[in-house]
Amino acid sequence: MTTLNSSPSPPAAASWQRWVWWLLAAAFVGYLPFVLTDRAAFGVALSNMQLLNLGLTQINLMVIAMLGALSLNYLTGCAGLISIGHAAFYAMGAMTAAITGSQWGWPFPLVLLSAAVTGAVAGLLAGLPSLRVRGLYFVLSTLAVHYVVVYVFLEYQFKFFDVVGVPYPAAALGPLEINTPIRWYFFLVPLLALVYLGLRSSLRTREGRVMMAMRDHELAATSVGVDVRILRLKAFGLSSAIASMAGALYAYYLTNVTSEAFGIQFAIQFIAMIIIGGIGSLPGSLVGAALWLLLPSVIAGFAAQASGSTGIVRVLLVEHRAQLVQLIFAVLVILLLIFAPGGFASIGRQIRDRLALRRKQG
Amino acid sequence: MLAQVLFSGLALGSIYGLVALGFAVIFKATDVFNFAQGMFVVCGAYFAVTAISLLGLSFPLAILFIIGAAALMGVVIHIFLIQPLSGRPMLSVIMLTIALSIAMRALIEMIYGPQGRTLTTPMPTGVFLLGDLRISQLHLTAAVVCWGCMAVFGGFFRYTSIGLLMRATADSHEAAVVSGINVNTMNRLAWAIGSTLAAVGGLFLGQLQIASTELETIGLLALPAVVIGGMQSIPGAIIGGLLVGIIEQLAASYISPKSSDIVIYVLLLLILMFRPWGLFGQRELGRV
Repeated sequence: MTTLNSSPSPPAAASWQRWVWWLLAAAFVGYLPFVLTDRAAFGVALSNMQLLNLGLTQINLMVIAMLGALSLNYLTGCAGLISIGHAAFYAMGAMTAAITGSQWGWPFPLVLLSAAVTGAVAGLLAGLPSLRVRGLYFVLSTLAVHYVVVYVFLEYQFKFFDVVGVPYPAAALGPLEINTPIRWYFFLVPLLALVYLGLRSSLRTREGRVMMAMRDHELAATSVGVDVRILRLKAFGLSSAIASMAGALYAYYLTNVTSEAFGIQFAIQFIAMIIIGGIGSLPGSLVGAALWLLLPSVIAGFAAQASGSTGIVRVLLVEHRAQLVQLIFAVLVILLLIFAPGGFASIGRQIRDRLALRRKQG
Repeated sequence: MLAQVLFSGLALGSIYGLVALGFAVIFKATDVFNFAQGMFVVCGAYFAVTAISLLGLSFPLAILFIIGAAALMGVVIHIFLIQPLSGRPMLSVIMLTIALSIAMRALIEMIYGPQGRTLTTPMPTGVFLLGDLRISQLHLTAAVVCWGCMAVFGGFFRYTSIGLLMRATADSHEAAVVSGINVNTMNRLAWAIGSTLAAVGGLFLGQLQIASTELETIGLLALPAVVIGGMQSIPGAIIGGLLVGIIEQLAASYISPKSSDIVIYVLLLLILMFRPWGLFGQRELGRV
C-alpha cells in the first residue's frame, strides 16, 4: 500500500545541518531565475546545453504543474480517490478566470480566489458520485465529468470569444504588474511553498490522518466513527480548489487558452507525474512534475545539437521528437509501475536507508 | 431521415459493440479496465494498412495477418505487462494501460508518420436504395460481419469446452486453479480475443474513415458502451455498443455534431449515479 513519507529525515542529521541544507536550497531557488535569465552563474557565462536548454518559462510552467500534481496526489495518494478528470478543474479555473478576469475585469488576486471557490464547488459536485459508487465506477464518473466540463468550456469559448481562444488580461498585484518571467517566478514559488506546507500540515492534523486511514481501510475507518462520505467530499473540494487556481494561473500565464488545451491528455499527464514521483508522496509530486515539464526541453536541446547528424539519431530526435518524448515517458511509467510502484520517492527512500545503514556499520 | 440515422447508428453501433465485447472479455477474465482498447482499434487499422498496402497480401491472407498480429499483440501484452502487475492496486493497472496506449500511439506515429493513411480493401463500397433509405454497402458489410463475429464468440463461450473453461476461470480464479485449469493460458486467450475483436473493428473503422491514431477516440467509446450495458455482462456490452452508436448518430443529426460525445458521457454519468451496475449487469453486493 502507499505510504505517506511525511516523517522528518533520519535522526542522524543534526538539526543545524538541516538548517544549512534548507538555507542552501532557498539560496538556490532564489538565485536560479537570475542564472536562467542572464545565462550566467556568478559572472561565468554558461552555454545553452550547460543550462540544459532550460528557460524561466519552462520553470514557471513547471511550478504551475506542480500545483496540479500536488492536488492530484493529495486526492489520489492521500485520500485514495482516483480521478482521471483532473484537467476538468484546470478548465474550470481557466473558465472562471475568463469570466471574472477577462469579462468583468476583476483584479488578479480576486480572480484567483474566485477560481478556487468555483473549483471547490465544482469539486463537491463532481465528488457526489463518490457517495454512491466505488472504485472503478467512480474513476469513470470523473472521466465523464471531464468530458462535460471541457464541452461547457468549448461552448463558452465559442459563445463569447472565437476559435482563437480566450484572451486573458495581464496579471497584477495591486500596482505591481506581473509581466516578466522573473516576477512570475517570485509570485509562483512562494505560492507553491504555501500550498505545499498547507497540504503537508493538513495531513498531520487529526482529519488528515483519518483521511489516510480511510484510504487504507475504509471499513475500519467507518467502524471507528469516521463519516467517510463527508471526508471524501472535503478532500475532493480542497484538491479541485487548488487545481482550479492552478488552471487560472496557467491561463493567465499563457495569456490565451482554448478548450482543446484541456483534453484527456492534459488529465493523464498529472496521473503520470504522481506515478513517476510516487503516489502518496508530496515531495514526489514535485519531482514528477519537474521531470514531466523539463525533460522535453532537455531533449529539444539535444535535438538542436543533433540537427547536423544523420541516420537514426536524426530521425528520432528531429523528425519524431514529440513522439520520442511521449514514448520515453510512457516507457518510464510502465517500468516504474512494474519494478518500482512507489515511484522515485520510494527509490529515494531506499537509497537513503541504505546510506544510513552503511554509515551505521562503517 | 430518422430511418437513415437509425441505420447508420446501428451499423456503427455494431462495430462499437464488437469492440466493447472484446473489452468486456478482457475485463471479465482479468479484471483489467483496458484503456488501451482504443489503441487496439487503431492497431487493427494499421495492421490492415501494413498487410494490404505495404506487404501487398491478397485480401483473405490480409485478414489472417490482421487476426494473427492482433492476437499475438494481446498475448505479448498480457505476458510482459499485465501479468507482472496482477494483484496491484487499480490505479497502477489503469495507468499501465494508459501508458501502453501512449507508447503505442507514439510508435505508430513514428513508423507510419503522424498523418492518417487511406485504407482500401476489396469490400463493397457502393450505395443502394431501399425505399428512400440509402444503404451504404460498407456499413452493411460491417454490421453483418460484426454480428457474425459476435455470434461466433457467443457460441464459442457457450458451447465449446475451452469457452466453458474461460467462463469458469473468469468466475473464480481459485476454483479454476484447484480444478487444474491453467489460468494464465485462459487469461492470455482472453487478451488475444479482446485485441482481435478490437482489430476487426479497426479494420472497418479504418475504411469508413481513414486509418489514423484519431480512431482511438472512437475506439474508446467502448468504455461508456460497456458501463451502460453493465460491466459484468457480455450481451450488455453488445447492446451498450448499439445504444452508443444510435445515440451518437441521433445527437449528431438532431442536436449538433459537436454534441454527440457529450450526450454519451452525460448518459454515462446518469447511469453511474442511478444504476451503476448498468442496464443489464447484476447489482454487486459488497462483502465485509
